[in-house]
Amino acid sequence: MTLVPLPNLPSPACSTVLEVNQLTVRRGQQATLQDISFNLEAGTDVAIIGPNGAGKSTLVQSILGILPREAGSVRLLGQSVSANRPIPAAVRHQVAYLPQNFLVDRRIPLTVGELVALGWDKLGLQLPWAQRAVRRAAVKSALERVSAGHLARKFLSELSGGETKRALLAYCLVRSRQLLILDEAPAGLDVRGEADFYQLLYELKAEQGWTILQISHDLDMVRKHCDRVICLNRRLLCQGVPEMALAPESLSATYGPEFVRYRHHNHAC
Amino acid sequence: MSDIVLLFSQPFMQRALLGGILTGITGGLLGSFTVVRHLSFFSDALGHSTLLGLSVGIVCGISSPSLMVLPFALLFALLVTYLIEKTDLWTDALLNLIYSSSLAIAVLILSLSGESQGNLHSLLFGDILALKTADLVTSGLLLLVCSLFVGLTFRTQMLLTLDEPLAIARGVNLWLHRNAFMVLLSLVVATSIKAIGALLVGAFVVIPACAARAISRDFTGYVLWSAGLGALSAAAGMLLSGAFNLPSGSSIVLAQLVLFLMATFIPKISSFAVSFNQSKPKL
Repeated sequence: MTLVPLPNLPSPACSTVLEVNQLTVRRGQQATLQDISFNLEAGTDVAIIGPNGAGKSTLVQSILGILPREAGSVRLLGQSVSANRPIPAAVRHQVAYLPQNFLVDRRIPLTVGELVALGWDKLGLQLPWAQRAVRRAAVKSALERVSAGHLARKFLSELSGGETKRALLAYCLVRSRQLLILDEAPAGLDVRGEADFYQLLYELKAEQGWTILQISHDLDMVRKHCDRVICLNRRLLCQGVPEMALAPESLSATYGPEFVRYRHHNHAC
Repeated sequence: MSDIVLLFSQPFMQRALLGGILTGITGGLLGSFTVVRHLSFFSDALGHSTLLGLSVGIVCGISSPSLMVLPFALLFALLVTYLIEKTDLWTDALLNLIYSSSLAIAVLILSLSGESQGNLHSLLFGDILALKTADLVTSGLLLLVCSLFVGLTFRTQMLLTLDEPLAIARGVNLWLHRNAFMVLLSLVVATSIKAIGALLVGAFVVIPACAARAISRDFTGYVLWSAGLGALSAAAGMLLSGAFNLPSGSSIVLAQLVLFLMATFIPKISSFAVSFNQSKPKL
């Protein structure tokens, strides 16, 4: 089945944060992603959905230069991001990325305060004690905003799943940013933890004016919160508002007809 | 006591003490990152692999081991980094592969050449008492370069240690930092071999960091403790060696082990004692 791509929504904010054009990624002989093109407008919340192995994580990692891309171009806040070069200095602090299942080695003796401070730092050549007071104040403020001030001196290994997510949100929040890229950010949380995470995320989005690109398997959350949905299965199958992109025919093309029948049955129950 | 004072008034002992402390600080500093990046085996593997450099040097008639060991260490670091990037193999498996092969080829070369194996003995076990002023200058310069590298890129090194994709997404040049760290670590290990020997050099990188992990309350403290314990154990080991006429390298490693055991178990013993006292019924 071939879907006609849905038209992009006109966005209230006109500035484009991210432009992806004809991006192709290969692993070995096989194309993991083929000819992916989409734009991300400022202030929008866009979800990437698709089955396991569809190339969702590959897409965001190739945008950020973590994985090499074979063809295509990426522009981030108007700056071209080369395939094999670090993100340009002018925009690198405007982006925060939270990888899928942030599985750090729990034996690393890093405290929550130090993790959040890493979100504040510009990571160039600098003395370790440079701007110490400013950094400390920014970390304190970010942790208090996510109700995690009491965790500052704790090791990451001492945190629960929900506390880890709050620490990561403080890492994003500690410096003013334009774009958040989340790869299944609430993975590993229970239903309550996931609800709390999204509530906090969207409060912060309203305050900070973040543009969000997130990978998600939670279609109900996507329908409720996201402005636009990109359906991916190695190629871009469709993109549009949730009502259109999450319609049975789009989901059937993305996940297969069995998934739609299963979902319809579960929702009917 | 006066014997010890007399012994350490000798220039060769002073050089040995200073050399041990410099090596201890540098090993502890880089070791703190090496351990949490799962590269502990790297220093051991490099130490053993330098035998190949030395055996080639012996066959070629190069009398100074440093002339062969240093370039070989650099080559080893770049080869390991390249293979880590280009193969899907586990780092420890890859290091084992390289060091076993290097060792085997070195033994074959030496046995076929029939050359004197005196250099081999000093490379395996080291001789800190034979350090010259030039060796101290080299160690001092290396400490300076490593301190500048770690100090000026400390936040980047922390983020790379925590999660490489997170660092790349923030614009960190992974290739550059990985290679710079490996080259520095190789140079530190290669220059330390003369004092400590290939068999024990890994301890200077790994044990102070493990001890520091047990007592530090944050990452910055961990790195500083690691460097400090490296220096402290070197000084304590040299005193032990002087007092009881023991081999210096082994004495330093013994001091490192004692510090590690103290760091690991004394906090546990004291917290057990506190909780035991709190749980005792009051009469």
